[in-house]
Amino acid sequence: MVKVLIVDDSLSVARQLEKIISESGDFSCVGHAKNGAEAIKMNHIEDPEIICMDMNMPGMDGLTALRTLSVMDKEVKVVMVTSLGGVGEKFTEAIKLGAKNVISKPFDAETVLRILREL
Amino acid sequence: MAVQFFGQFLMERGIVTGTALRDAIQLQEKNNIKLGETAVAMGLITLADIQRAHNAQLSKDMKLGDLLVEMGLLTLIQLDDIITRQKNNHLHIGEALVQLGVLTADTLRQHLDAFKTDQARYISSGIELPVISANSAIWEMTADLTFKMITRVLNLQFHAGTCTTPTVLSPNFMMAAMDLSGDVSARYLISVSQELQKSIARAILGEASVDDEPAEVLEDTVMEFVNVVCGNVAAKASQTGVILNINPPVALHPPAHGLAVPDGHTALCFPIHTGSGELMEMILIIKE
Repeated sequence: MVKVLIVDDSLSVARQLEKIISESGDFSCVGHAKNGAEAIKMNHIEDPEIICMDMNMPGMDGLTALRTLSVMDKEVKVVMVTSLGGVGEKFTEAIKLGAKNVISKPFDAETVLRILREL
Repeated sequence: MAVQFFGQFLMERGIVTGTALRDAIQLQEKNNIKLGETAVAMGLITLADIQRAHNAQLSKDMKLGDLLVEMGLLTLIQLDDIITRQKNNHLHIGEALVQLGVLTADTLRQHLDAFKTDQARYISSGIELPVISANSAIWEMTADLTFKMITRVLNLQFHAGTCTTPTVLSPNFMMAAMDLSGDVSARYLISVSQELQKSIARAILGEASVDDEPAEVLEDTVMEFVNVVCGNVAAKASQTGVILNINPPVALHPPAHGLAVPDGHTALCFPIHTGSGELMEMILIIKE
């Protein structure tokens, strides 16, 4: 099963994603980090293949964490999660930093799984 | 099922890869030069003028073009000419993908049609505000997107009441709030009863029962709903050229006597009567 780390300060978002992932049959959730700094630590410990990373978090945000991960770990695939759609600079910056895709909120389970499976 | 830009629409559907989109964005950045650089290229100002304006922006929250006019470096007509030139030379993401050979002109057209159909769900329908303000269109759009998200995300049947302008917000079980900044300054709130909080939690978590969920999780679902609405509002506003920044949501527990609307602010309150007889309120506290 493909290991996925969820990074989001919202408990309910983490629960939604975890439900979608665990019911898929081909992915497993290896943990939940609440900000970018925790994500970097947990990436090192859990070694996920995919990280679903929220853009907007208190403390270290998703873009900052992505910037760090793009240098420290070139193997892990990061998908950004946001309610902002593809708006402006944050979306562009995420793509330039190597994010593989962006999942919009509100979630559609089919879309989430298709994006993860296409990685 | 969110407000999106075209590039993300294509990527989400697997029509283009992240790499192709990145290349297209880089091509856009090479082509779509910024206002200051355009003004310099047109011989209207110098690089030193741009630097002075950027320094002034550190203490003035103004767009560069407006600041250059205020500093007497450009006239309004010149600013208008610069913006027109930018628009005429603008390379859109779809056009960039065609130039890179990722899409053909025909497939671009087809995908644009599909995108317009998809996003038509987010076009605002008539909302009436009791006061007219400079940003009425944004507030109408916010209310409209809230109603759409209540239907699509929360699966709640409801009837929207008439918008009012209270000076004190009625007390309720909890409120979730999110601050909006940028081109407008406001606080967005959703006010709910305990029963509505559970309804929201059931929808967000996808669970038939939330009776055993900790209070922290139940509160978080209302905050997440606010986050989803405001994020989509920011995305939609951006499409009309209005910059809206959002901060992480917070939970509030108003006192029994309600929450006074601060001086210098106007509150717009949109009552939302649900099919189960509960009352939700969407409130905007707008800085005048």
